Amino acid sequence: MNVASPELTRRMRWVVLVLLFAFGGLVVRLWQLQVLRGDRYYHETVENVVHERNLPSIRGRILDRNLVPLADNRPAFNLYATPRSFTPLVAAELRRLLGLSDEEMEKVTARISAGRKRSSRQAVLVLEDMARERAARIEQERFRLPDLEVRHEPYRDYPQGALAAHVVGYMSQMTPAEVDDQDGAVVDPDELVGRYGLESMWENYLRGKKGKERYAVDARGQRLDEATAAGLIRGDRITEPVAGYSLVLTLDAELQKLAEKAVSSFPAAAVAVVEVKSGRVLALVSKPSFDPRVMTGHLTRAEAKFLNDDPRKPFIDKTLRAHYPPGSTYKFVTTLAALEDGLALEDEEVACVGRYERSGTTFDCTAHHGKLDLVSAIQHSCNIYFWTLAERIGIDRMADVAKEYGFGSRTGVGLNGDSPGRVPTRSFYEKFTRFKIGYTINSATGQGDVEVTVMQLVMAYVALANGGTLFVPQVVDRVVRADGGTVIQYKPEVKQRIDTPPEMVDLWKRGMWKAVNEPGGTGWEHATSAIVPITGKTGTAQVKAKRAKKDEPQIRGWHPGSDHAWFAGWAPADVPEVAIVVLIEHGGSGGKVAGPVAKAILEGWWTKVRAVSTPEPGEASAASPGAGSSSGATP
Amino acid sequence: MSLRGGFDLPRAQVGVSRWRRFRASVDWPLVLAVVAISAIGLLNLYSATQGTRHAGKFDQQVRWVFVGGAAFVIATVIDYRAIVRLAWIALGISISMLVVVDVVGHGAKGSERWIYIGTVGGQPSELAKLAVIVVLARFMQDTAGAPPSWQSLVPRIVALVIPVMLIALQPDLGTASLLTLVMLTVGFLAMRDLWPMVYTLFVMVLAVPILWETMHDYQKTRVLAFLEPGADPTGSGWHTRQSIFAVGSGKITGKGYTEGTQNQFDFLPEHWTDFPFSVWAEEWGFLGSFVLIALFGFLIVWILNVAVNARDRAGAVLCIGVAAMTFWHVLVNVAMVLGMAPVVGVTLPFVSYGGSSLLTFFLAMGMVASVSLRKHGY
Repeated sequence: MNVASPELTRRMRWVVLVLLFAFGGLVVRLWQLQVLRGDRYYHETVENVVHERNLPSIRGRILDRNLVPLADNRPAFNLYATPRSFTPLVAAELRRLLGLSDEEMEKVTARISAGRKRSSRQAVLVLEDMARERAARIEQERFRLPDLEVRHEPYRDYPQGALAAHVVGYMSQMTPAEVDDQDGAVVDPDELVGRYGLESMWENYLRGKKGKERYAVDARGQRLDEATAAGLIRGDRITEPVAGYSLVLTLDAELQKLAEKAVSSFPAAAVAVVEVKSGRVLALVSKPSFDPRVMTGHLTRAEAKFLNDDPRKPFIDKTLRAHYPPGSTYKFVTTLAALEDGLALEDEEVACVGRYERSGTTFDCTAHHGKLDLVSAIQHSCNIYFWTLAERIGIDRMADVAKEYGFGSRTGVGLNGDSPGRVPTRSFYEKFTRFKIGYTINSATGQGDVEVTVMQLVMAYVALANGGTLFVPQVVDRVVRADGGTVIQYKPEVKQRIDTPPEMVDLWKRGMWKAVNEPGGTGWEHATSAIVPITGKTGTAQVKAKRAKKDEPQIRGWHPGSDHAWFAGWAPADVPEVAIVVLIEHGGSGGKVAGPVAKAILEGWWTKVRAVSTPEPGEASAASPGAGSSSGATP
Repeated sequence: MSLRGGFDLPRAQVGVSRWRRFRASVDWPLVLAVVAISAIGLLNLYSATQGTRHAGKFDQQVRWVFVGGAAFVIATVIDYRAIVRLAWIALGISISMLVVVDVVGHGAKGSERWIYIGTVGGQPSELAKLAVIVVLARFMQDTAGAPPSWQSLVPRIVALVIPVMLIALQPDLGTASLLTLVMLTVGFLAMRDLWPMVYTLFVMVLAVPILWETMHDYQKTRVLAFLEPGADPTGSGWHTRQSIFAVGSGKITGKGYTEGTQNQFDFLPEHWTDFPFSVWAEEWGFLGSFVLIALFGFLIVWILNVAVNARDRAGAVLCIGVAAMTFWHVLVNVAMVLGMAPVVGVTLPFVSYGGSSLLTFFLAMGMVASVSLRKHGY
């Protein structure tokens, strides 16, 4: 029996057509999604599940010549959070739990919002190097704050604190621009990067290569177990990180400590101690300094402001970047230029009346010296003697000799913006004014427009001490692998050979010896040592009067109008091993202020540093005081 | 022992004859299609919930399948004409249950859909669908002779609109629109004169803006998210995107049973109720998806076939109603999973987890079997 009307049967056909059309549409859509775009969506679902994480590489260490670590790594607690689940509620809870300051909280939220822009499901570093109890508190509250993770990761540490801070440098977080700049290299945002000193210049060696871990997560971001991950991820799940290379320096931490201690009572100073036979730097002090431990990570805004407002400019390396008038330490240039051109004689005497007048200007000498020969003029640092010589030689010839000794060009150490300084010539002045004889007179005594760096001066004295080899200062001795194997060994590099006849240099050396070791010398008693024979030249450089800014903080013992105090020399006097330059910024008299500092450092070097390191045969025979005025002191 | 009843024939002959008659009258294609789809549903639910805190749902569903099977048999045995006679009473009961739900119901996602008797909960809106279909059958039977007068028509139409309104008020927009679609479909198929249906459709189109105004914010968000799924990747569009990823990633042959990463690692939201099809599509690929859709297609066509062969108008309309309900459920659910329709809580028959839905469809299929059984009028 069938009640279906023809009408119903007719409509039924339409209905079946509609059904076929509708379900056919679904099938077409399925074909589109699964067959045509299947690979793409498959890839998307893999990305849902498989996440990548960079494994930190261990940064290379920075060691002194005796392998004392100056920069090392220590384990630290870093806090990571996932932006997706970092709700204001979680933020408030975190703040309460750790007692975060406004400044810290600001940093956390800034990093979260930066992370959210990249990927809301990728954990970002929000607090680095947390104190142990903070880490413990987070661990305790794990179940309530499941998306906060404390990771145990290596963190940069400076075990010697601020020791040699300008050489070692510090690290700080990359800026977003720097992160974008790293084409190819694997970097995490918020990663630390070398900012200063060796940490910055040797970044590529120290950094190493990050590893990579691929792991599987579920929709809530919870890590899946190893077996599941192994089933989901093809290929290697872990690429091991490669540790960075370590640097072994030429610096001696012991000597560096001595040197820093010697200048500790001065507000601003610089010291360089360099090995005479090789140009290797043993100590390099720039004061005021900064603590790289503070700079790397925990610098508060107040501390940063304090450091930036300091008129002594703690971030400018006073051995390499800053340049100063060298004062009388520069007189060897005048002396050697005059001797080479036959314009000075050892026994020529010049009368000093304490004043020197040229073209309407009066130049004052340090004292009324009377009649002096060349060596005594060096001993007493009589300006008038050298002004007299300068007028005979002319500014350009002095500049030639200065350039031979490395002034006016970068030392080539490749650190902290190594400055070329300035050696004025006639054409230098003629560019903007009419040349005056006064410029020549000023140059002769390291004043006026002569500007040198502490490093340039010490390298020049190294060349004087070793018979004419001007080295490129060397700070890094070798690059080593994490297992200790040497990768690169650096040899001393000669910048240029200077062919000043030895007998002329000897005249200058005799003057230096007398300046320190004979009564009347500018360094007499100040730098005279009974322990190790020291020879050297003092310098008291006048500074251009500069008015202090109104809001400048007052610093005790800091008088920006006072002269710079210099001492440049070496020890032992006749068999030179190390050369030294001491600069006390605005310290006053070179002999009185810088002399004792140089003496303290050289005596410390002789008794505490040199005595314990095994001396090479032949070098052990130390000369006694008084034996040094003779010729042939070059090694 | 001998079996003695009201039969005079030898026992062996009686047995063979009754077995043959039973075998001949049971609608095997219908039964097989339902069994196949239910089996796929259970298989899929196992994969979707195994090893999670939802694992208990599988055991629960197995129990419901047995209850549903029993309901199917009972609905087959009962003469559908008796049910059609009680249609208005059934609708009355449904309406009162819906009223109870609207007043004291338990909410899920801010809407009240559940009613509890002791610890057993159910969604009256599911059973209301059956009541509406039965009433439609009765209605069409009553108006089979002459065109009805307006006086008799209006109260009946109002009676049918009431449950829709009550469900929409819960608010369960998915079920309400589904019920509307079922009534329209039945109307278009069973009415002699199509013009009243055209008018109705016209009025409904006009009503859309008003409906939009009365919708809840989360409903609006879902509709908007459907229109522009990329706009908010973690919000409403997230569900759709993840579902599309799951389906697409199955490619032609699928990732393998219980190997779907989207399913296993919870990237699919509510994958046991609203999104079981994406679980299936991810693990069985285009081939599996096609088979499932083909099974549904076959089931619907077969029910329509039963309708054409029904002995009376009531039976035909009953079947058309069930076919329409099944069709719209499948279409809306799968279209939603494939990102072609907004996310609404419409289940996939026999596959989605949930006792009310399962029971409703088993009862509905039982009624179709009842119509089929009685087509020759023994």
